[in-house]
Amino acid sequence: MATLSTDVLVIGGGATGAGVAWDASLRGFDVVLVDRADLAEGTSGRFHGLLHSGGRYAVKDPRAAEECIAENRILKKISPDSIEDIGGFFVTTPFDDPAYADVFAKGCRDTGVDCEEIDPKQALREEPLLNPAVSRVFRVPDANIDVWKTVWSMARGIQERGGRVLPYHEVVAIHRSGDQVTGARARGAATGEEIDIEARVTVNASGAWAGAVADMAGIEGVRVLPGRGIMIAMNHRLVNTCVNRCQMPTDGDIIVPIRTVCVIGTTDVNTDDPDDHTVIQSEVDAMLDDGEKLVPGFRQARAMRVWTGVRPLFEDSKAADTDSRDVTRAHALLDHAERDGVQGFVTITGGKLTTFRLMAEETMNAVSKHLGDERPCTTKTEPLPGSEDGETYRLGERLGRKESHLRDEQLVCECEMVPRSKLEQAIERRATTNLDDIRRLLRLGMGPCQGGFCIYRATGILHGLDGLTAEQADDSLLHFLRERWKGVWPILYGDQLRQARLDDWIFHGVLDVEHLPVASPQAETVAS
Amino acid sequence: MRGELHYDAVVVGAGTAGLVAGARLAEGGARVCVLSKGVGSTHLAPGTIDVLGYAPGRVSSPAGVFDEFVATHPDHPYALLGAEAVAEALRWFSATVAAGPLAGYEYVGGLEHNVLLPTAVGALRPSALVPETMAAGDASGEHVCIVGTRSLRDFHASLCAANLRRLGVDARSAEIEIEVDKADQNALGLARKFDDPAWRAALAGRLSLKLQAHERVGLPAMLGIRDPHGVWSDLEHRLGRPVFEIPTLPPSVPGMRVYEILRSALRRAGGRLVLGAEVVSSERSGSRVVSVATRSAGHDSVYAAPWFVLAAGGFGSGAIELDSRWATHERVFGLPLHGVPAVDQPRFVGDYLAEQPMARVGVAVDSQLRATDADNVLVAGAALPGAVPWREGSGEGIALASGSHAAQMVLAGAGAPAGAAA
Repeated sequence: MATLSTDVLVIGGGATGAGVAWDASLRGFDVVLVDRADLAEGTSGRFHGLLHSGGRYAVKDPRAAEECIAENRILKKISPDSIEDIGGFFVTTPFDDPAYADVFAKGCRDTGVDCEEIDPKQALREEPLLNPAVSRVFRVPDANIDVWKTVWSMARGIQERGGRVLPYHEVVAIHRSGDQVTGARARGAATGEEIDIEARVTVNASGAWAGAVADMAGIEGVRVLPGRGIMIAMNHRLVNTCVNRCQMPTDGDIIVPIRTVCVIGTTDVNTDDPDDHTVIQSEVDAMLDDGEKLVPGFRQARAMRVWTGVRPLFEDSKAADTDSRDVTRAHALLDHAERDGVQGFVTITGGKLTTFRLMAEETMNAVSKHLGDERPCTTKTEPLPGSEDGETYRLGERLGRKESHLRDEQLVCECEMVPRSKLEQAIERRATTNLDDIRRLLRLGMGPCQGGFCIYRATGILHGLDGLTAEQADDSLLHFLRERWKGVWPILYGDQLRQARLDDWIFHGVLDVEHLPVASPQAETVAS
Repeated sequence: MRGELHYDAVVVGAGTAGLVAGARLAEGGARVCVLSKGVGSTHLAPGTIDVLGYAPGRVSSPAGVFDEFVATHPDHPYALLGAEAVAEALRWFSATVAAGPLAGYEYVGGLEHNVLLPTAVGALRPSALVPETMAAGDASGEHVCIVGTRSLRDFHASLCAANLRRLGVDARSAEIEIEVDKADQNALGLARKFDDPAWRAALAGRLSLKLQAHERVGLPAMLGIRDPHGVWSDLEHRLGRPVFEIPTLPPSVPGMRVYEILRSALRRAGGRLVLGAEVVSSERSGSRVVSVATRSAGHDSVYAAPWFVLAAGGFGSGAIELDSRWATHERVFGLPLHGVPAVDQPRFVGDYLAEQPMARVGVAVDSQLRATDADNVLVAGAALPGAVPWREGSGEGIALASGSHAAQMVLAGAGAPAGAAA
């Protein structure tokens, strides 16, 4: 069995885990980051893409609001390449309690969230599709963030500093020697091979799965309440500003424009199983009705895709068990030396995407103490790889690049304007045969046609470049189609159904993928 | 609003079914107008005439399994049309291609035997009647070299050949360089280059260097749009071996040839085609449709006729719609639908390759393919219920036979209603 030895092992490659590993790397510690699947494939990659201003928590959870506005400012400086600084509105619709607006404004003042009330007419000039009956509008510094880009920037930075990033490595055991956690054993999904990772400190940053990981270390009572929410992506940006209902946070009260789409979110349902991604039809219907309240005609627009994400909410025994939104959104850092008398093991869970850097900083402060080597944190000021120029992302960047390369740059995915050269680089860098991994890196196949045109092309390019066998290429193609369908079928109506039928004609009528040769029995044995 | 335009028959939809109905009505002496929002299925489909490819096992002879298939699929359009209607429609199509604007271009094959043609990903797809330019791709042949070019992102020769090898075809692949003036070239742009004899001769010269003795040559379907027979036979001659086309992503060059052939047949017989004319409303008198109104650039028009053929397609074209409250509508005439799952039943299921409950939805028809709710509306093509043509490989067979049937019904009954002057 292969073995690795490191200062810090981080379990969980979401934003928090990658943030911890990045922080550790910047402090000069050696680090290994593992995830059972792809980086940011779990909760981090399954939200609406909002970089909070803090406005949402200004009344209900002032501490969270303060953290959000501070981190919002920091992330816009250190990770601008993955952030589009579009701003946000909190709007009082006829469906909202008009008295909340003043409470909201005061909450923002008290927590330091920049907030300016503007004339609703001005808001409608900026966002013509917004409900014309809005009575109050507040402008806040909300933004959107492409988490996959952020996380993979950190991964690159970690690797450049000698750290090791191991996606698709699931932790199967945590090693303990008496009261000391000494590392973990991880199993590679591709090969089934196991590696032992010896670590001076192990960080459990597995979010909604943190309880299960703590159990493996023999630590009881780490309870994370998974709260499942659905998000719906519409095929274009109905608004260009993050639009929030000005009310206490509830279901379906925010639309986040991100890249070429906009996302409405979200719901909140307690679940026992963080891997349960069931989409409940009544939630979809309710969400579409909520969309109508913010943007009349929402139901006539084209819904592209629905997915669920699972919030890791650390259980507070004082909160009611019925609505996970009442459980604290604040993060929880558990130093198991203090809590359980177990050395070399720290759990970080809860929190929200916007505050991942802060969570990482606090975690590494604790880890540094365990290592007996307290070095300062520099993540507040050190730009992520790709963000050195300080320029935020602008919609139209890809189009601009394409227009200056009309002759020589072939597009593989027209919807998201992914050029062939970027696809080839990504395939090379990731050394993956999984087109879904590539999708998260490049947004390949995430636009209106949902892979109808690009996935055959990408499969052909992948096959040619990587010297894959035809079996592997076919598996990649079919895997992608199956994965896409999961998010398409529960919300298939209107023009997206037309698109799906066109895709049926392409994949069945033209390509006949259903009758590709089936994998040989030997190949199946290797895969399992 | 202008005055009403009067025809013997108005066809809605310009896919294969609508163009066939229109052309055959015109050939039968009817004054016919085909109205369409845009071009139809032809530009997306591979250009082969698929009658029945899977039922659900691979079908080697559509004629051979026809009776058994309709016995087990009583709601299928084929059960209403019958085998002879399909055979007759295919004969008409072959003759129409031969008499069409593409000199020498022919379809080969028939109902007795499906050929197995490689797809762009390297599966083998069964088809009944295929362009001569594809026929040599049949999997029963010997060595084959699949040739691609980096300039066409819509075809990947090495993947195609690798899958063909897994299916027992002795295939390899090669790449040729084709210079293009913009990176995002599609098959149509390249087909126009192939139409140029000098360009083609130079390409054949370079290509011949890559080939081994006795190899057939498979190329993406881009061998000419104006003169495919000339391009294909010239390449076979220059390379001294069988050459065949492999359909790939839309826009489909062979499909566009079908469109051109059918459009030309319609026009030659005196029929009219109006594209960009979406039907937005219809007038009824009791159980009959009296007229339809179109909205197009500049003005609205009203088309009156004693007969209408609904060939506007299904969910794919938007002629049948599922709205966000999960209600289904036929959008041209507001006709009742058949096959819609009950309110408490799933519309779709999570298994991508399972049959979807919504798949067989179509306009409800009687045994004569008349809409159940409108006596003078005949339904053709993908608007019909009961089939899953993209999985069965039955789209063109249904379109040809039902389009032909609609025309014959109208022509047979055309004596009855008084045709008003235009």
